[in-house]
Amino acid sequence: MVEKKIAYTKKEALDFLANHDAYIIAGGSDMMVIKKNVAGYAPLFDKDVLYVSHIKELANIYEDKDGVHIGATATMHEIEHHKLCPSLLRKAISEVASTNIRHFCTLAGNIGNASPAGDTIVIDALLDAKVKLESVDGVRLVDAKDFVLGVRKIYRHPNELITELIFPKIEYTGELWFKVGSRRADSISKVCFAGYYEVKKNVVTKFACCFGAVAIRPARSKELEAKVVGLSLEELKAKQPQIAGDFAQIIAPIDDQRSNKEYRQTVAMNIFNKFIDDIVGGAK
Amino acid sequence: MTSIKFRLNGKDVAVDLDPSMRLIDVLRDHFSLKGVKEGCGEGSCGACVVLMDGYSVNSCLLPLANVEGHEIVTIEGFKETKQFDVLQKAFAEVGGSQCGFCSPGMIIAAQSLLSHNPHPTEEEIKAHMSGNLCRCTGYQAIVQAVEIASKKGAGLW
Repeated sequence: MVEKKIAYTKKEALDFLANHDAYIIAGGSDMMVIKKNVAGYAPLFDKDVLYVSHIKELANIYEDKDGVHIGATATMHEIEHHKLCPSLLRKAISEVASTNIRHFCTLAGNIGNASPAGDTIVIDALLDAKVKLESVDGVRLVDAKDFVLGVRKIYRHPNELITELIFPKIEYTGELWFKVGSRRADSISKVCFAGYYEVKKNVVTKFACCFGAVAIRPARSKELEAKVVGLSLEELKAKQPQIAGDFAQIIAPIDDQRSNKEYRQTVAMNIFNKFIDDIVGGAK
Repeated sequence: MTSIKFRLNGKDVAVDLDPSMRLIDVLRDHFSLKGVKEGCGEGSCGACVVLMDGYSVNSCLLPLANVEGHEIVTIEGFKETKQFDVLQKAFAEVGGSQCGFCSPGMIIAAQSLLSHNPHPTEEEIKAHMSGNLCRCTGYQAIVQAVEIASKKGAGLW
């Protein structure tokens, strides 16, 4: 018999998880589809279920010395319109699903589901966000880029609850969020890309980028990013084909119902080259 | 079973049902609110949209558990308001409703938009209504209807 628990406090949730291997549902926008039954019947859950959307203490968005903390039950709508939240995250969220769904789906749910086509997990990885996990045994912080292990696989122990994501403050001068889907809204990404940079005195002083929906996890290489930092804009322009070729190696797109690998590879690198063009052109 | 309590169309209700039931099934099968339509059942079409605490949400994706303590308004509850009257006339004026299947969700989504942004731009209307599909009108009439409602209902929202 599957047990279903509605938690109203974090303690209730952690106590339940201490003794139950459960699906955790915040907004429910993904799980209610994955476990869908025929109309009129409850979804088919094959193990216990914990509902956490009523836990008010996990809905806070605030800033401290570690960065911006976004509670696990804060909705994407609330994050999208919250001025403390990183602009790249807000831009990406504005293109997640539809307004109707963003009224109840969550950022924590997006990384918890670990879909390769998830948009916000690209931002989590790019901005070096940390996932805060709590259990009756204590607290654990995991880098968001390491939290997604593969398709629908995450680095969460069964007794742990994602309680918040923490975004360190990063200063930069330019950013790009670019999503390609079948239509402008309410669309799942075929390819998405996020990046930021800083240019001072004609030299690239910060450079980071991450591809989404073109690998089983968000694709980012800090090693390759480090090779761009320190280049003058002229050097960046001259080396652009070589740099793009290097970054093309970190993605591994596949064919699926939304697109094919050739399209994804081409479009991903077109967006990357637009990002470089923005840096070179924008700073002139 | 767990007793789930919430407000539905202005009345306090309680149901003893599986908390993972979809809200759409609870509304249609247990409260006979047939204005809530099921199209895709996956959150893509918006035919099932209702208001939760004034915001449009897909009732096909919401587990009953998440509704506890909240206020739900369906098209049946919303039709008693002045705002509905303005929206209904605006949709009729420009042919924003044809077969009618999407109309309850469209009207509710429009109410959600106008109640938080009484004078939206055309782009804001398109962005907000993008989660509601219509296979009859071609959307232009729906966008016009929301614009008309925004003007003729000035002060209501």
